[in-house]
Parts: sequence; structure tokens; C-alpha cells
Amino acid sequence: MSGVKRVRTDSVEGRPTEDAVLVERSRNGDQDAYAELVTRYQAIAARTAYVITGTAADAEDVAQDAFVKAYYALDRFRAGAPFRPWLLRIVANEAINRRKAAGRRPTVGLSVVEDRASGDTALSPEASALARERREIVLDALRQMREEDRLVIAYRYFFDLSEVEMAEALGVARGTVKSRLSRAIARLRAVMEGGQLHDA
Amino acid sequence: MTREPMREHELEATLTDIGERLAYPHPTRLGDAVRARLREPRAGHWWDGLRSPRYAFGPAVATLVLIVVVSLAAVPGVRAAADEFLRLRGIDIFRAPAIATPAGTAVPRATFAGGLTTLDEARRRADFTVRAPADPRLGSPDEVYRGFSATGKGDVITLVYAARAGIPVSREAGVSVLVVEFRGRIDETLFGKVAGEGTRIQEVTVNGGRGFWIEGEPHLFFYRDEAGNVWSDTLRLAGNTLLWEQGGVTFRLEAQVTREDALRIATSFR
Repeated sequence: MSGVKRVRTDSVEGRPTEDAVLVERSRNGDQDAYAELVTRYQAIAARTAYVITGTAADAEDVAQDAFVKAYYALDRFRAGAPFRPWLLRIVANEAINRRKAAGRRPTVGLSVVEDRASGDTALSPEASALARERREIVLDALRQMREEDRLVIAYRYFFDLSEVEMAEALGVARGTVKSRLSRAIARLRAVMEGGQLHDA
Repeated sequence: MTREPMREHELEATLTDIGERLAYPHPTRLGDAVRARLREPRAGHWWDGLRSPRYAFGPAVATLVLIVVVSLAAVPGVRAAADEFLRLRGIDIFRAPAIATPAGTAVPRATFAGGLTTLDEARRRADFTVRAPADPRLGSPDEVYRGFSATGKGDVITLVYAARAGIPVSREAGVSVLVVEFRGRIDETLFGKVAGEGTRIQEVTVNGGRGFWIEGEPHLFFYRDEAGNVWSDTLRLAGNTLLWEQGGVTFRLEAQVTREDALRIATSFR
């Protein structure tokens, strides 16, 4: 379909114990242990921030600030809880606050990397053009959406978070995740079709 | 253009496709950057250690100190001094008997909270509009620091002016002028100040808003975050201080100058 491969460097599977050990060491002031956690989750933290801020430079800045704040908030981290969604919650808050404080325009400048040439795509030129057109329509709608809606969609479709992780990262009950997501999708469709945004 | 609304699976496939193609940043050395930030002194005070995750009781300690100071203020004879209680949006200034100041060993140069940056960079990154004096006597700051407030929720920007003609260099911090700026909110943050008896507090108007001119001995601030925790900070130069609020931001100008000079410098903030 495209030459761009999905990168999954932040999977939590298979290493929750290690995370817990690193968190515990970090809580005891071991900054090397914390740097290891940062390295492990820097990609998803910066990506999450990017979905909200829409600029790569701001996103890296937000991710760095969020990691520093998370370190000083480790005493409020529930022992044994998964680290990644807890971190993402801090990242998202930091990114949203920063955008609001800066009084930025309601739309963001998210952009995608398009295929360089048709040579590395398995699609016919027609199908490729249609896929590109759809991307443009959906991306344009995403740019206009509220940060919170964009975040839910990103967690589900961009980062493939589980429902449990989404609930933790969004700070909502597990049963609320589905309705949050379907409302966000409904609003996405409304924007795509030129309709009004309605808050639930 | 596709006129037909996308089917559900088409929309989902398009979203997945976008997720794979977004022009994400690719940080590679964030671990090093964060470690460097954690090694920076957050401020040069003994109580900073209390803010580490290991000492979550820090706020409680600060609260106790505040209770002690306020209780002292209630002792007959000094109550009059405590009566003067001024308020500046989220800032409360308490008058109280002289407070103990750290032993007076003059340090050549104090450390300031946060990481060294530039004024341009601070303006770009801070979560509020950073202003600096345009007064020709000061010129550009020699150093600019960007740190976090103790609550971890906002930026604190510090402008340092090392030595300026006609403005004495502070014995405590080794600099002439210090400007500290942070977002201060009306109902959320209580910012208290305990001043010794050798300190004079005067209400003034700064750039159309209310402010306070504080003259005399070293001062110690107490302020409360949204969660009700009490934190403390000192005025760094032990000199005269002009404190004002402008556009939701609290400004602190510390310099051994006259009130009129300080007001003139404050008017030049751009």
C-alpha cells in the first residue's frame, strides 16, 4: 500500500515488569533508570504531542517538559499501574495547555508524508489517487477538530492503544471509551461533510 | 471529489493510513535532554530537596512554617504589624515580625531556577507573554532562565542583569537587577509574603494595574497552588522590589533603586 511502515517501538507487551522496576528506581531518585523510561517512550510521547500541537518542534518541546513533570509527579503514580498511559495523560495535558495558553488558532498544521513516486506503491494509479484524496479530506477535518477528539481518534487509529490503555490515558471509565470514540468519529464526519460541530 | 460519504471501513482505513504517514517528530536523545534537565538546580534553596518525589511532605512542612509565622504575628504587640494585609490578584502580603534569614555568607553569584535560555527562546516557549524592560539603563538581560513553578504547572522566567551602572550589585545574589515572571491567577493561587518589621510595603499603580513597592530587608514569599499546597520562595536580591500583575502574569522587579526608578523601569516593559 505504501513504502511507509508502521513503527511500533513502544509496545507495552512483554515488559510491564521492567517498566515497574524502572519506575520504582526512578522514584528512589535513580535518574538513569528514568532516562531509560524516557528513551522507551519518547516516540509515542512526541507523536501524541504532535497530534495535538500540529508542529514537530512544539511536540518535542512538550514531550520533554512532560517527561520532566512526570518525574516530579512520580510520587503520585500508583505502584503497579501501567506507566505508558499515565505518561500519555501528562503529555496530552501539557500539549493542550500549551496550545490554549498560546492562544493559537483553532486549526493545526498536521501534515502527512506522501509517497515519493508511484514505484513503491502496490495500488493502481486510480486507487492511489482515491486514497490520497480521502486522506486529504479526513486530514483537513482532523485539523479543525477539538484536541480532545483528535486525541481519542489518534489513540485508537494511529497508536492502536487498547481500550484499557485508552481509558487510563484519557482518565475516563473503561465503559466511556467507546462512546467518546464514536462521538469523536461522528464529529469528524460532520466536519468532513461541512456540517457544524456539536458538543455532546 | 468523493461526493458519497465514506463508508465506515473506508474512513477507518483512511485514519489508519493517516496515522502511518503523519509527519511526526523523531526524538532520539530525549533521555539525555531530560536527564540534563533533572540535574539542573530547580532553585538555590535548602527546601528544594523537599520537592523531590521522595519528600512528598514538602507542602506540609511549608504549611507548618506558615502557621508558625502567622501565630507569631498574633502575639500582642506585633499584631499591629500583621494588620496590614494587602491583596493583589492572587497575591497576599502578610506583615509579620522579622523572619530568620539564611546565614549571611555572601555568595558571589546565586543560581537561578530553570535552564539557561535566551530571551527570544523564552518568549517563544513560555506559556504566557514574556516581557522585558526596554529601559536603556538595563539594556538586554545577561542571562535568561526558564524553569517551572513549584506546582509544575507553569513556566517561571528569570531575567538576570549582572552589573549596571548606578545600580548596586546585590550582596546576596551578585547581580544588579532581577526580573521574575510567572502566570499568577486570580482565585487559584494565593501568594503570600512575610515581611520583617524593617520592611515597608506601599501600594502603587503600575502600567494601569495594582502593584506593590516593597523596601527593606530580605523577604520570604509563601504562595498556595490549586491543590491548596503551600510553597515558599524568597526575593533574591534582598533589595527593593516592585511587584505587579499585568495580563494575568505576575512580575517581580528586584533592584536597589528608588521607587520612582523602579516604576520608570516597569513602564518600559515590552
